[in-house]
Formats: sequence, structure tokens, C-alpha cells
Amino acid sequence: MALLQIAEPGLSTVPHQHRLAAGIDLGTTNSLVASVKSGLAETLTDDEGKDILPSIVSYQENTIAVGNAAKAHSISDPQNTIVSVKRLIGRSLQDIESKYPALPYEFCGDENHPSLMTRQGEINPVQVSAEILSTLVERAKLSLGGDLEGVVITVPAYFDDAQRQSTKDAAKLAGVNVLRLLNEPTAAAVAYGLDSKQEGVIAVYDLGGGTFDISILRLSKGVFEVLATGGDSALGGDDFDIALVNHILAQANIARPLSASMERQVLQQACFAKEQLSNADKVSISLTLEDDSNFAGEISRATFDGLIKGLVAKTLRSCRRSIKDAGVSVDEICEVVMVGGSTRVPLVRSEVSNFFKRQALTSIDPDKVVAIGAAIQADVLAGNKPDNEMLLLDVIPLSLGLETMGGLVEKVISRNTTIPVAKAQEFTTFKDGQTAMAIHVLQGERELVEDCRSLARFELRGIPPMTAGAAHIRVTFKVDADGLLSVTAMEKSTGIESSIEVKPSFGLEEDDIITMLKDSMSNAKEDMAARMLKEQQVEAARVHEGVTAALAQDGARLLTSDELSAINIALENLLTTSQTSQITDIEKAIEQVDKITATFAERRMDSSIRTALAGHSVDEV
Amino acid sequence: MNKTLNYYELFGLDAKFSLDLSELSATYQALQKTVHPDRFAHSSSQEQLIAVQKSAEINDAYQTLKQPISRGEYLLKLRGTQLPSEQETVQDIGFLMEQMELREMLADIENASDVDAAIFAAQETLDVQSQHLWQQVSELLNEDNESNNVTASELLRKLKFYNKLQIELERIEDTLFDD
Repeated sequence: MALLQIAEPGLSTVPHQHRLAAGIDLGTTNSLVASVKSGLAETLTDDEGKDILPSIVSYQENTIAVGNAAKAHSISDPQNTIVSVKRLIGRSLQDIESKYPALPYEFCGDENHPSLMTRQGEINPVQVSAEILSTLVERAKLSLGGDLEGVVITVPAYFDDAQRQSTKDAAKLAGVNVLRLLNEPTAAAVAYGLDSKQEGVIAVYDLGGGTFDISILRLSKGVFEVLATGGDSALGGDDFDIALVNHILAQANIARPLSASMERQVLQQACFAKEQLSNADKVSISLTLEDDSNFAGEISRATFDGLIKGLVAKTLRSCRRSIKDAGVSVDEICEVVMVGGSTRVPLVRSEVSNFFKRQALTSIDPDKVVAIGAAIQADVLAGNKPDNEMLLLDVIPLSLGLETMGGLVEKVISRNTTIPVAKAQEFTTFKDGQTAMAIHVLQGERELVEDCRSLARFELRGIPPMTAGAAHIRVTFKVDADGLLSVTAMEKSTGIESSIEVKPSFGLEEDDIITMLKDSMSNAKEDMAARMLKEQQVEAARVHEGVTAALAQDGARLLTSDELSAINIALENLLTTSQTSQITDIEKAIEQVDKITATFAERRMDSSIRTALAGHSVDEV
Repeated sequence: MNKTLNYYELFGLDAKFSLDLSELSATYQALQKTVHPDRFAHSSSQEQLIAVQKSAEINDAYQTLKQPISRGEYLLKLRGTQLPSEQETVQDIGFLMEQMELREMLADIENASDVDAAIFAAQETLDVQSQHLWQQVSELLNEDNESNNVTASELLRKLKFYNKLQIELERIEDTLFDD
């Protein structure tokens, strides 16, 4: 017979319950899911015992194949088989075509919202990513035996706002709650840091299939403070493959354009050669050409090293800049962690070790380390480790600013600022009687608008006519803990406000996502309304639980009896309403609880800040 | 309603210019452990919202107090001293002449016969001159009176010029190493 549980005095009376959560490494080439099971973070496998899911999605006649099942179609059916979709997400068509001219897809949609034409119709990169996420979430549900509280999804530290937002949109489409977007190098640092209880400055060198990140972190008493991050969101092992492909084509004397399946064949040979050259000094190549004749060639390690030397040097330049941004010297760095499959390339290892003047750490499998770190963070965020001291303080990788007169960018938040952050700047009108102002939000380090990434445009209207320079328009940038930006603008004398969530320039509008969700559900059993109701009920339960726990802890101490009973009434109402199927009523009940607990929440926060300061000065004495 | 705490109060510190940076950093981490949104992944939306605001405020406070220029300016603002605006031109002709010479020194680096030595020498010159200014600022700000505060604000303005020179030197270093 089960024993009855009694809580420790003073602690939360909400029974501790292990909440299921997972970390997902949504990679360019491969994706993984991991979770903390009985205290240990491990990657989860599919029914064939494989943990690596190739990030490939193939749109077949009646099915959508993901992973190895899709890989089988990649040469025979390249147009309907999307590989390395992470290189396309949150990017414009022009971006994609200038960087990857030889992609076998048929692009459609408009300049800023490119889609791919497949036999199942137009598919955009967010939908492709959502397929990969769904597959991994399903795997986690099966493996852990229940619905997930939420997931932590990793993104390259150098991803810009559009790329992050698109990744979050993909999760929404896949119907999974995102606890946090976590930067890949930070995730790796967590996996290593918790392992070794390391203190001091460490560097994480993360060279994946399509992205390169470098992060410099300071580890101290469970706090992982990112000092600086840098990289290139379009440089990775895929570029090594492309260099090899061009070399092979030149050797075989084949001229482009090639058929799509020929491109894929050469690419697979290149990829194979690259992997072999990690252990062998030379490798032979064989191709079946369009006229059925055969080409046989050979590539040596030295040739390969020569082809990629420039790319590796480019990564070291980013390292140098980030070390400088972090305000440390190479000698202060006590550990270098290698992440990503491309760090298996011997030249990468030797150059990185030379640069940092120390042997790089590779003890955790570079393919799995990011997913493992994400799983640890997911476990903490899900609330399974209330006493855990771990805290991740991350930064924004690229400066955020606004267009001013003359096509110049005025920076509002500079790169490597710790998030969350809120910064405001004041601007004024240029002409007498000007009543509107165009706000153009940009991301990047350069001074000219045309050299930066356009994130969004919006207009502030209704400014009262004044002489030029008299109006005071306050523009506020807020970046949350996921690294996502929102912008508001306000004219100070009138209080007229205009705000946007920054997403329009690239990526999807909210309406697009809802339409896509509906489309995807018309085939599925569950329908849209049922899903939205469930989401609201889950949210209601979360709010109820959160407030109840807060009341148990501080209710008596920080509230008058009147305030306490008002909150209890609102909670009661929330509980009854959430058992109905009225979505809007539930929404209202949640809002009501939020409103009535605002002061309480603020008092709790102030009280805990005082406790932290007091406890801290006691420690110091 | 609570009165909003200034950045020094937020960190439980006396409003002084000289700070123990390692203590500042330890307090920062202790505060973030309390207010960071990650601590509230399971709380009500209200608490999450406040956590983001508080956490952002503590980040801003830390950045402001950590860097000596922003710390000095913040302290002067608390003392009610009007800071010279960025647009206003610097009146000190002697100082401007010096700045032009320093600019020329930086521009000449790429033509130097020994680039490394030229960078090293330039760095030394910038360090010595800015150190000298910092010492004065620090002494002036030790005492809170109007004439000291006004002089300190002018010196901080000049130190910003040195900051720009430093950034320029680093840019030159980067381009020379990239080739």
C-alpha cells in the first residue's frame, strides 16, 4: 500500500512530481533528442536503437518521410527531399541563392518568404523543421512514457532574430511547448561544466554542419555567464563538402549545370571522402557519370587540408574577435571545448589547439554534447530540480539598431549584451509638421542600413504637428531570455504608442502559422479547437499551480487577509472555468488571476531580492 | 508603491566611484540567481513578466556600474550634474590638437617598418594618457561638490575620445592580422 505523503514545514505543499521534458538539438545535418532519466542526461533512441536523426525530410506521394527513411530518397528524388533545411530557415531567397547556387529545389513564394515546390505542394522551411521536431517529440513521448511539459531547443549562438523566431514558429507548428531557445555552445558548456565542476573562463568552439559558433564563458558557482559570442551562421562542414565537390568536378572535368541527382551523388562522395580523411591519408572517389561512364579519382589529406585551410582560418578570426569582446586574453582560457561533427576533421583540431595553446576537450561525443546540455537545462526549467544552483546568462550575438537619416544605423543594443535586456532611445522628427515616423529595425555590426539585416518595419502615426526636432519619440527594444526582440515606440507628449513583435521582414506571420496548423490538422484526428482548448487548460493548470505554490510560501507573510481572499476567489474561479470547454472564458479567468496577483508577484520579487542581498553580504563577511 | 531603487541601491552599495569589481560581479550573480526568468519557468505569467523586467534591470545596472565611464556618468546624474551633450563641441583646443596627433599616430601604424612594435607603442601611449585622466576623475569624484563634479564630467567626456581611439586601434590590429 502506498504511504501518505507529508510535506516538510515551510516548503511548497505542491507535491513534487517529475515533469517530463527534453532537450532537442535541431542540427543542420543531424538532430537529436535527449532527456534526464534518473539523474542522468542521455540521448533517446528510435525503435532501431539509433539516436541520430538525419535532418532530412522527404515529401512522398502519401507520406512524409523523416530521417533515414528520407535519406534513401535524397539521390533518386532530390527535389522532394529537403536536406540541411536549417540553412534556409529565416532567410530570404536572395540570401539562399547567392550562398548556395547549386541547390536542387524549385523555389516559390516571394523574395522574403521562400518556399519549396514539392509533390505535396508548397512547403516552407518552417514546416520542414516542424516535421523534424515532431519526429523527435514523438520519440521522446514514447521513450519517456507521457506528454512533455516542454522542450529546450538549441540554436546556433550566431542565429539572428529571424532565424530564432522561425525556429520557435516551427515548434509551434509541431505543437510542442518551448521552455527556452538555448544557444548551442552554452548547452555544450553546461554538459561539460556540470560534468567537471570546472571554474574559470572556457571557450566553446562549435563547428556544425552549417553553422559556426564561438562562445567565451565564465563559470562560477553554477553560473554560466557568456562573456562574448561570435561566429558565422553560414559556415560549417557543409562548406568543406562544397569545396570537395568543386575539387572533384574539376578533377573529373565535369562542368555545371548538373542534374539534381548528379549533384547529390557528387555531394555524397565528397561527404564520404571527408569522413574517411579523418582517419586515412588518402581516399579514392568513384562516380557514375550521366553517360554511364565511370570516373575514378583520389584525394589526399594534404589536398583536403589545402581546400579547407581558408575556411578554418575564418573561424579562428571569429575566435580572436570574441576573445577580445570578452575582455580576456588567450592565456586566461583554461579549457577549450569542441562541439559539432566537423571538429572531427584533423586540421580543425590541430589549428584550434594551436590557436588556444592547449589540447581541446573532446571527451563528450561532439555530436551529442549539445542535446545533453539542452536536456539538463530542460530538466531544470521543468522544475525538477528546485534546489539547483545552475543559471545560464546568455548574450545577444549581433547588435540591434534603427535606421536614421542618411541610411545610417543607430545601435540601440550592442552585441554581447546580456539578456534579457530592455533599452530605450529617443528620436525626433526631421521636418516641420511631420506626423508619422517610419521605424526600421536592423540587426548587424555595420554602419550602413544596406549592410545590416532588416528585421522589421513599422510606422508610428498620429504625432501632433510640431516644428522639426520638437517631438520626442521613445523607441524601446526588449530582448527576452530566448533572444527574441520586441519593439515599441511612443511619442512622449501624447503617449501615442505603436508596438510590434519583430517578425514580419522574414519568416511567417501569425496568421500563416494558424493556417498551416489548420491544414496539417485536416488530415489528423485531433482538430484545431480541441488542441487550442487543451493548450488553454494546460496554461490554466500552470497558472493555478504557480500561484498556489507562491501563496503557500509567502501568502501569509506578504498579503493582507482581504488580498488573500480575493486571490483565492479568482483561483477558485479559474479551477472551475478550466474544466469547461469555453476557451475564451478560460482565457479571461487566467487574465483575472494575473491581474489580481500583480502586486503580490512584485512584493515576492522585492522580498527575494532583499534576501539575496542579505544572504550575500553575510557570505562576504 | 515602491520607490524605484537606483542601481547602487539595487546592488546594496554606497554611491561611490571606486568599486570592488569582483564583489560587484558576485552580487550580480546572486541577484540573477533570484530574479532570472529561468527561475520562473513554472510560475504565473505575472511573475514571469516581472522576472524579465527585474532581470533586465539588474543586467543594465551591472553593465552601467561595471564600466568606469558609464559608472562615472551615472554617479554624476545621481548627484544632479548636467552631463555635456554628445553634440556639443569640445572647447579645449589643446586637447583637440592632441587627439588629432593620436589619430595620426594610429593612421601611420600600417606604414611602420615594424607593425607589431608600432601597435605596442600606440597602445602604451593611449594607456598612459588615459590612465592619467582616470586618476584625476577618481580623485575628483571622491568628493561630492559642484566644481569637482563639473570637472569630472568634462574629463569623462575626454575619456570617451580615448575609448574611440582604442576601438580604432583594435580595428587596425584586426585588419593587419587578417591578411
